[in-house]
Amino acid sequence: MIEKLKKTRFTPRLALRLVIAIALLVYLTWRVVQVTASEAVFGPDTWLRFLISGLVIGGMYALIAIGYTLVYGILFMINFAHGEVMMLGTFAGYFMLEAFSTIPGPGNQEVNFLNAQPIIALILTFIVGAGVAALVGYLLEKIAYRPLRGAPRLIPLISAIGASIFLQNAAQLLFGPQRRQYSNPDLLWRGTGWMIPVGDKTVMLTYTGVFSFVLSILLMIGLFVLVKKTKLGKSMRAVAENKQAAALMGIDVDSVISKTFLISGALAGAAGVMWGIHNGLFNHYVGFIPGIKAFTAAVLGGIGNIPGAMLGGMVLGLMESLGPALLGLDFQIKDVIAFTILILVLIFRPSGLLGEALTEEKI
Amino acid sequence: MNESLKRGLRLGLIFGIVFIFFMLIGFTNVAATMIGDILGNVDQASVNPQLPVLNLITFTGLMGFFTGIAAYKKDANPSWVQVLIVGLIAGLAAALLVVGFILLIGSLNAQGVDFRTYLPNLGANEIQYLIFYTTPLAAAQRYILFIILFSIIGSLIVKLFSPGSPVNIALNSLKKNTINKLDVETLKSALKNRFVLIGLLVVVAVLMYFLPFVWGSYWNYIMGTVAIYILLGLGLNIIVGYSGQLVLGYVAFFAIGAYTFALLTAPQPHAIEMNLWLAMLIAVLVSTIAGLLIGLPILNLRGDYLAIVTLGFGEIVRILIRSDLLTALTNGPKGVTNVGQPFWRGQLFTDTNYMHLLMLLVLAGLFVAKRLKDSRTGRAWISIREDQTVAQATGVNTFRYKILALLLGAAFAGLAGALFASRNQFTGPEDFTLMVSVNVLCVVIVGGMGSLPGVVLGAFVLKGLPELLRELSDYRLFAFGALLVVMMIVRPNGLWPVSRPKFIKAPPEDCQDEPVEVKV
Amino acid sequence: MKIKYILVLLLVTAIVLSGCAQQTEEVMETEEPQETEEMVETEEPQETEVVDVEEPEEESMLEVCLEDEFGCAEIPSGETIKIGMGAPLLGDYSMFGTDISQAVSLALAMDDGFEGWTYELVAEDTGGTPEAGAAVANLLVTDPTVVAIAGHIFSGSTDAAIPIYDAAGLPMMSPSATNPDLTQKGSAVFNRLAFTDADQGKSAASLLYNDLGFRKIGVMHDGGTYGQGLADVVQAEFENLGGEVVAYEGITPGEADYVAPLSAVAAGEPEAVYFGGYAADAIVMMNQWAQAGLEGVLFFGCDGTFGVEFTDKTGPNGEGAIAASLVPPDSPEKTAFDEAYAAEYPTEAGELSAFTWSSYDTGNVLIAAIESVAFVEGDTLYVPRGALVEAVRNTDFVGLTGLIKCDEIGECNASGPAFYQVVDGEWVPLDLGS
Repeated sequence: MIEKLKKTRFTPRLALRLVIAIALLVYLTWRVVQVTASEAVFGPDTWLRFLISGLVIGGMYALIAIGYTLVYGILFMINFAHGEVMMLGTFAGYFMLEAFSTIPGPGNQEVNFLNAQPIIALILTFIVGAGVAALVGYLLEKIAYRPLRGAPRLIPLISAIGASIFLQNAAQLLFGPQRRQYSNPDLLWRGTGWMIPVGDKTVMLTYTGVFSFVLSILLMIGLFVLVKKTKLGKSMRAVAENKQAAALMGIDVDSVISKTFLISGALAGAAGVMWGIHNGLFNHYVGFIPGIKAFTAAVLGGIGNIPGAMLGGMVLGLMESLGPALLGLDFQIKDVIAFTILILVLIFRPSGLLGEALTEEKI
Repeated sequence: MNESLKRGLRLGLIFGIVFIFFMLIGFTNVAATMIGDILGNVDQASVNPQLPVLNLITFTGLMGFFTGIAAYKKDANPSWVQVLIVGLIAGLAAALLVVGFILLIGSLNAQGVDFRTYLPNLGANEIQYLIFYTTPLAAAQRYILFIILFSIIGSLIVKLFSPGSPVNIALNSLKKNTINKLDVETLKSALKNRFVLIGLLVVVAVLMYFLPFVWGSYWNYIMGTVAIYILLGLGLNIIVGYSGQLVLGYVAFFAIGAYTFALLTAPQPHAIEMNLWLAMLIAVLVSTIAGLLIGLPILNLRGDYLAIVTLGFGEIVRILIRSDLLTALTNGPKGVTNVGQPFWRGQLFTDTNYMHLLMLLVLAGLFVAKRLKDSRTGRAWISIREDQTVAQATGVNTFRYKILALLLGAAFAGLAGALFASRNQFTGPEDFTLMVSVNVLCVVIVGGMGSLPGVVLGAFVLKGLPELLRELSDYRLFAFGALLVVMMIVRPNGLWPVSRPKFIKAPPEDCQDEPVEVKV
Repeated sequence: MKIKYILVLLLVTAIVLSGCAQQTEEVMETEEPQETEEMVETEEPQETEVVDVEEPEEESMLEVCLEDEFGCAEIPSGETIKIGMGAPLLGDYSMFGTDISQAVSLALAMDDGFEGWTYELVAEDTGGTPEAGAAVANLLVTDPTVVAIAGHIFSGSTDAAIPIYDAAGLPMMSPSATNPDLTQKGSAVFNRLAFTDADQGKSAASLLYNDLGFRKIGVMHDGGTYGQGLADVVQAEFENLGGEVVAYEGITPGEADYVAPLSAVAAGEPEAVYFGGYAADAIVMMNQWAQAGLEGVLFFGCDGTFGVEFTDKTGPNGEGAIAASLVPPDSPEKTAFDEAYAAEYPTEAGELSAFTWSSYDTGNVLIAAIESVAFVEGDTLYVPRGALVEAVRNTDFVGLTGLIKCDEIGECNASGPAFYQVVDGEWVPLDLGS
């Protein structure tokens, strides 16, 4: 480390960067101290609420961000339509829950299936939601991306944008533009949860929030195991490293790519169902903003890097929730804070928080 | 033969799904009405219910027809019998799917199930229409009949026009005769004649002057939007097309230009109300400075990182404009009303005046962009786009040229923004969403990256065409998305690709004395 | 290269000209004023000789068009008299646009028309934003058969559109744009049937302080002209009365998670929270109320948060919330309208929004104004625009909502807002006895 420092030349640009970095750090620390200690606007219960909210949404962003990063690692393209894959997962979950809430439960005719067997209903809903999203991801790759493999990078990007617009509007035309509401089982009703006493106030830890967070973590662990320990994971890593070499080693590149899209779609679908269960209201537009935020998170963590995407997602979620409050700014500009942090990270660490530097061939 | 059958089956299934999809999104209604328009029976349609049914059957027939056309695979060169069978299989597959769907919803509807909460296009009335106002079974028979019939006809017709068939041979000889009659060479040399060119230019100039008077306010408004998008496209073309930097936040410069102009000329919130032309100039300057400020820190980012960072900047600008923080400056989400409008001969600009101004500016912009492309700067950009490292190695100052591209692009956007705000008499933060950046990017890429006529054509197709198809306005965006995907697969270089200079070397013929021609 | 430019321009011209074949009729109309003027002038000498006393009146009617500041709208036979509207027909706020456009359409359909010309509503989607409001206004003024505007619906969208309609001479009558500043701009064309937020805000603040007895409230808004305007009035009035506004937060509409701003408001420990904004966002907020630490705190909304959408989507979370609505007193006309509305549309009057009846009145007010100035000459219906602007401003009409009479600045309100509360999942008139 000292060696590296000795070797770096102090160009004006580097000096400028250092000055800006130090100035920013000083300002930020001062702000934070000012807000938390001296002004003390928010009590510890409010901070806890911010933290919880940030973690829950961070988990969802992380799941979607992993999808982006998986696809980027293999194909070096930004799958702009990934947000819409999540949206279709949300819709699929919605229809499943609606179906379950109208079918009578086994045995007891009074209670509907959803409330009689909530766990089975939820499991099935997630499977169907993730499954539909995976299928959409697979078809997306087959129809819109595969013919463009090998084209200059902008072309698949436009195709992805087109696919995103197409899916959004197809959903609007099929299902109507009005917002729909998820019918949660009573067990997991929105707005109910454990009450945690903090000082003389209580903070609610919603059931849906905990459920989403735990499920996100489980899915992330599952994916990590898949990529590191299984043969498929190894093939994926090989194809991401060098397609031709992998093909020479006997790996069916097309099949691996399809499976990657299936997995990334499944994760997005699960995130979509979680979104519906936790947030309740959705329409065909629900995937757009989370898609962009998750993409930001993936880049923040280092695009192509799976733990990076997870970290990026969590960091982004926490920043959105805690950022404005910590800096004493309006909640309306939480996106500004998120993007500014992204820009600053990229300026000072161009490959993202955990990322590998992009080599020339990969660009 | 097996291949053809499989292909026919697959395509039949695909078309069946597409047809069901159309029914689910209500497109069958719209298409049937359009057919009714063409056939001229719309007025009586409200009185006589059989006529819409006729329209729907015609649409069904068309779908079957397309199935048949798609099913036919030219290279295989099948015999007539094979074509018949393929058409039959394809039609059968499609028909079975459609009929299955019809029977399902028809019978459920008869039992009183209301789909409308989940699928708003399948109300009871619509379902009745889809089953031709009879029973599901009778409708099913008709569907099968028409789809299969027209599918077979479609396949047969393609066979008829394929190479080797009598019709095709006749057409080819007809083409040869007519082309020989047209003397292409004299036409080309005529166009190169200076006087002819000037004559054409004069005609076009006169046309462009009088058109805004003739075609009415509505088209002035639409074409004005197209012109603004051409300007935006020209600017982004410099950044993305010439120098290869993928910028997804172009709308930031558009917003800055528009808001600068608006805030300088509107009575609220600042009541500066300066001379409009001066304000326009300042708007361009401020936008350019913004380009500098945004460009400097991100210059060493590449590819997708640059994309997301610029996207971030675009969003930051929009959110800051609408935030409480800057409301004193920008008037927040309420936007700026009564944006200044220029005067011409003592009267406020009418829409024709705006149209003329925009036309002039577009022409000027095209001129500037063309000269830039053919200059040394342009070549430097192209070298940076192709391979930045090599460009740097051969002595091109990449830093300077990349910033220059950003500055010029920002200037174009600033100008477009000022005009946009002025024409609309209003501007607000939601005018500058991410989708605007995406639209401009599509204009550039669909038109042909780096190509100037491509930008013009792209703007017309993406902004003007939807206005021509107003009846299909609900399906506009949907078709737009599909169009983008299809275009990228079929014609990725764009509608009017840039023509790269060709390096043609004629092969030496037995080492002649004449030098080898090298045409550039 | 130059050839390509020229060819592109020619091609494009060709496409455009072919595409606007339908538009040539409009083109002819805009050119006609000059032609008819000439014809009238050349014909006059002959007509005054031959015909009797009535003719000079007919000629002077066309002179009305010449003298009119904005000229006449000319509607040839076979076309409809169009009334424009900018409403949120798609998106999160579509319940307002749907409800209001349906009511106005019904009013136009139930009318018999004028001398053979029928009325038609041209409703364009604005999504509730001011930007789209300006764009729709710019679009509607290019259509020469649009003579009046029923709208716009949202205050922000109306604000952006007023200068555009002012310049074009299109009178406006809005059933729902309630922001007080809209009539303070000196516009000659803008009028509204709706109550103003100045009234609504004062009533709300008074209710909160005097009747409900709260001393500490939080105030939230969605940043728009309507929402923030209302929130500011309530804040000022409440503080005037002696109360304390412990928190003032703005949200960004359209998001899924408002726990952060709500928690910030909760940190101030308010007894009630006032919200200026629309139902779509109020629903999300109500569902996150307990999460944010506001359990038990009263939610006081406005006319934007009223409607069946709110009660449907909040369920038990919405119990006790208050909002404002405008339900006119019972009358045979109201009953007839309610039945017609329920027969034609899947929802009932007053379910989707608070403005069904005032929209019906808007339609009828505009019809009355148009019919008071329009005249037929030959095959064409002429509507003098300047005269119509004045006619709408001079409206004196009895509608479902009461007597609609406009003052000099365009306030034509018949009745003020009434407050409603969610009890057992339904909106019932607020009962202060509880």
